[in-house]
Amino acid sequence: MFAYEQQQQSSCPVKAPVEHRFSPYTDNGGTTLAIAGDDFCVIAGDTRQSEGYSINTRYAPKVYQLSNGAVLATGGMYADGVTLVKMIEQRLEWYRHAHAKEMSCGALAQMLSTILYHKRMFPYYVWNTLGGLDEEGKGAVYSYDPVGNYEKHKWNCSGSAGHLVQPFLDNQIGFSHQREKPTLTMERVVQVTKDAFTSATERDIYTGDYLEMFLVTKEGIQKTLTDLKKD
Amino acid sequence: MFLTRSEYDRGVNTFSPEGRLFQVEYAIEAIKLGSTAVGIQTSEGVVLAVEKRATSTLLEPSSIEKIMEIDQHLGCAMSGLTADSRTMIDHARVEAQNHWFTYNERIKVESVTQAVCDLALRFGESANSEEALMSRPFGVALLIAGIDENGPQLFHTDPSGTFMRYDAKAIGSGSEGAQGELQEQYHKSLTLKEAEVLSLKVLKQVMEEKLNSTNVQIAIVRSIAADGTGGFHTYTEVECQAVIDQLS
Repeated sequence: MFAYEQQQQSSCPVKAPVEHRFSPYTDNGGTTLAIAGDDFCVIAGDTRQSEGYSINTRYAPKVYQLSNGAVLATGGMYADGVTLVKMIEQRLEWYRHAHAKEMSCGALAQMLSTILYHKRMFPYYVWNTLGGLDEEGKGAVYSYDPVGNYEKHKWNCSGSAGHLVQPFLDNQIGFSHQREKPTLTMERVVQVTKDAFTSATERDIYTGDYLEMFLVTKEGIQKTLTDLKKD
Repeated sequence: MFLTRSEYDRGVNTFSPEGRLFQVEYAIEAIKLGSTAVGIQTSEGVVLAVEKRATSTLLEPSSIEKIMEIDQHLGCAMSGLTADSRTMIDHARVEAQNHWFTYNERIKVESVTQAVCDLALRFGESANSEEALMSRPFGVALLIAGIDENGPQLFHTDPSGTFMRYDAKAIGSGSEGAQGELQEQYHKSLTLKEAEVLSLKVLKQVMEEKLNSTNVQIAIVRSIAADGTGGFHTYTEVECQAVIDQLS
């Protein structure tokens, strides 16, 4: 009764019902990339975090080095990526306790798919790319959609500039439409990765600031940070 | 031991003042009434062999099943109250399949053994949220044989939930004699074929009946080839007879 009177006295009368809606998802943009070599793997991502036309921060890494020696790049919604990585780390530790060994890259790839599919009806809004070395020491790349469909391949780029970079990789890494198919060195892959990101930064407003790269070899993992344009 | 029975025999989860759980100890005794089972690990694979005690001439011997498959790379022989093993093997199979589903790899022999042993002490009144499954301990011992990245392995589990890895192990009524024989005959360079013969030789010595292709069961676990051959295999009567023929 009181509320009704209040409403009558309002200086701006509301004629139509106001809809209040909570949207659980947001796309924080950004681009991730992974390329597998014969005995190495490069996983990279830019560090810009956006929301609409604003930049939240210029340095919010979305590529994570996991405790089993694999590297996971999470594009899409940042908060979901953080949560997912936390959960994976927990599962990696449980696995170590239960089976007294490190989870292999292939086992992690399958586990990530099941984790994602278990949230089939309220998915993590994340496009994952997993990179590392397989049991034989060869480079391995797995890419995922938010509900856990996954595929193993040699190179992949996803995220806001994924559609710009993927055909470039098909040509420069997969040598499609080229006569020569030389063996890829890590130096070459690093250069292609940097070029891909500098070019993507020119065209995609959600990609930029810094490029964070993880170079995985049997000797260990090396992390590098490269500048990208900040406009 | 049995003459000093006390009130601590009642509660299945109550320690006696000497620090013993009588019901668990009695369960271990129950295994000594079971038929003999032996397991032998070699570098090529693991052999399991059990005695099938026919209580009547009218009994169909093939209906006695004392060696079972857990997964393609895992087998299990049992002695004691074999009905109790259903719960354990069911659990082991689920655990093996879950592992494959989640990780796309075969579960380790030790992990599946641990999983089975996790069930062992879930009897009596339940502690807080943990659901008690049984009113008493399992009355069965298992020989879990399998192959994984660490090679062929043999594990022994008992009703207390303790498990240990063995090169060769005998359980059941004839276990004492059989274990002694294994102790003497086992060596690291045993081939799978030699282990098959040894397993029957050991069984033959402790069995009351004359050993034949219907009153023993043999199974092996070998490494699995790329074409899917190998792994767990139970011998047919013909294959079994072929091993018996090699006994002098």
